[in-house]
Amino acid sequence: MTVLRVAAVQASYVLMDRDATIERVAALTGSAAREGAQLVVFPEVFVPGTPLWIDTQPIWDGDEEWFGLLARNAVVVGGPASDRLAAIAAEHGVWLVVGVDEREAHGATIYNTVLYFAPDGELAGRHRKLMPTGAERTVWGMGDGSTLAVVDAGRARIGGLICWENYMPLARFHLYAQGVDVWLAPTLAQGDGWIATMRHLARENRMFVVGVNPVLHADQVPAGFPARDRLLAPGYLEQNGPWLEEGNTVLVAPDGSVLAGPVREREETLIADLDLRTVATARRHMDPVGHYHRPDIFRLCVDTSPRPAVTELNRRGAHDENPV
Amino acid sequence: MDPVKVAAVQAAPVLLDRDETIAKVVTLAGKAAAEGARLVAFPEAFVPGYPDWVWRTRPWDADATALYARLFDQAVVVGSPATDLLAETAARLGIWLSVGVDERDDRDSTIYNTLLHFAPDGTLAAGHRKLMPTGGERLVWGTGDGSTLQVVDTGFGRLGGLICWENYMPLARAALYAQGIDVYLAPTWDNSEIWVPTLRHIAREGRTYVIGVTSCISAADLPADLPGRDSLYGDSGDWLSRGNTVIVGPEGDILAGPLTGEEGVLYAEIDTTRAQISRQQFDPVGHYSRSDVFRLIVDTSPRAAVSLEEES
Repeated sequence: MTVLRVAAVQASYVLMDRDATIERVAALTGSAAREGAQLVVFPEVFVPGTPLWIDTQPIWDGDEEWFGLLARNAVVVGGPASDRLAAIAAEHGVWLVVGVDEREAHGATIYNTVLYFAPDGELAGRHRKLMPTGAERTVWGMGDGSTLAVVDAGRARIGGLICWENYMPLARFHLYAQGVDVWLAPTLAQGDGWIATMRHLARENRMFVVGVNPVLHADQVPAGFPARDRLLAPGYLEQNGPWLEEGNTVLVAPDGSVLAGPVREREETLIADLDLRTVATARRHMDPVGHYHRPDIFRLCVDTSPRPAVTELNRRGAHDENPV
Repeated sequence: MDPVKVAAVQAAPVLLDRDETIAKVVTLAGKAAAEGARLVAFPEAFVPGYPDWVWRTRPWDADATALYARLFDQAVVVGSPATDLLAETAARLGIWLSVGVDERDDRDSTIYNTLLHFAPDGTLAAGHRKLMPTGGERLVWGTGDGSTLQVVDTGFGRLGGLICWENYMPLARAALYAQGIDVYLAPTWDNSEIWVPTLRHIAREGRTYVIGVTSCISAADLPADLPGRDSLYGDSGDWLSRGNTVIVGPEGDILAGPLTGEEGVLYAEIDTTRAQISRQQFDPVGHYSRSDVFRLIVDTSPRAAVSLEEES
């Protein structure tokens, strides 16, 4: 079995409504599974959507209610929302990869996280974005090095980075070195420059690349959204157009050629069959962590240890670590 | 910093004729300087040309060996009259002159794929030996060490670069970004359409200007006495390289090119302040790095095969 059918779902979220958006994930995953997809990929922070106000408003200017919504609708790993996502994966027997606004059960910092659910419903992987971009830094924290593991999905090794993390050469290299056949790049990034990057990454590591974006028209912001008129001030829409998320979903082959997309300004699930044998074949030309690497010159050290805010050293632990 | 004009020269070398090809460099650099260019960049292994036959011959065929012998004879030795003339040209024109050469040491026999940067004062300010040749290239070129990854300050921006598919080495790129590169040269033989997206990506990743520069040569340009001329090569429709020269701005915007199928010189105005300001959005070695998670150590020491030392 060397072919993997992938579905990249370009869809709209229900802004800051976790449960309604998860039901969209359920419906769209079901549709993709009926098309035979074995790996279904959703965009960056699809559940419960992008905190749009960080770019439409000055920072901290009357955003209390919006941030409150984001915090209440964020996904807690191991909570009912992630259980529901796991059940969707299991129900359809697919690998389900979903971007979420995530927080700890008792935490208020939101992380930009991608969750990987296996077809048996297990949470097989998790990646917290290492570095938010620009105004994103006012709503999202930073992940540590402990969530950079590539996931063995049986037929293929899958992994990736979120949005502009894809411009971090050292982070990419760390994942390349783990062996990754299908690179997942959930993003909000628009335009042709991003497509150039997706194609470059494919050719750099000779792998398939799945870039997946949300799409959202101003009319799709729920009618009852708090201070809706202020969120979408006429001046902002006139300047930036009615597409709050334009979309840019694209599938790329290991030689950098575009298999499907980019699709913009509409909902669409891109489906393609990825022949995984072509990855190894293409790496005879370029293998950045093998024959085209120079480990005598370059040594990359990665701290993959979890870095919680506090490490408790109780008497017993101290005794164990340092017997007196 | 005031914007300056840069030039990328897409031309045909006189294949395996060092002095004729250098004469061409002198002429074309003069032309670009007359147009106001402060930096003139030439393609990968331009002097005396890219060993295209590594993709056409069986590795140890007689033609391949004869071609290698001529490449060896015509290779550029640093500190020889060939590099003196390039240095004098840079000084006479008052430009930065970057030229790809097939290089060898005056005693050693291995040939390297090297990029030389001559300063307007006529010094060889920096050179870079390609770290890793690609595929068939591995039969004619050695590998450089980490000692030639430096970036040099031109006064209008920090200049450096990598050669051809070295540009797919993320750690080598990071080593240049960390030195504050503003003007990134990517001489190449790669003619593919996907090469241009790669250069746009590098521009966005490093928030640097990127100058991709490629030879443009068909079989019609080949000297009649080239070994294997008739058995390996056809007529003018037989391209060794169509060219793919392109200049990209720090947000991935294409400023000039890509130029294919003809010789020509591409010009662009570059403003390194723009590159630096663009790093407000993304700086791979500053606010967008995670030095607590990733630590890249680069061994920049020269690595001679043998060190002949007196016992101390």
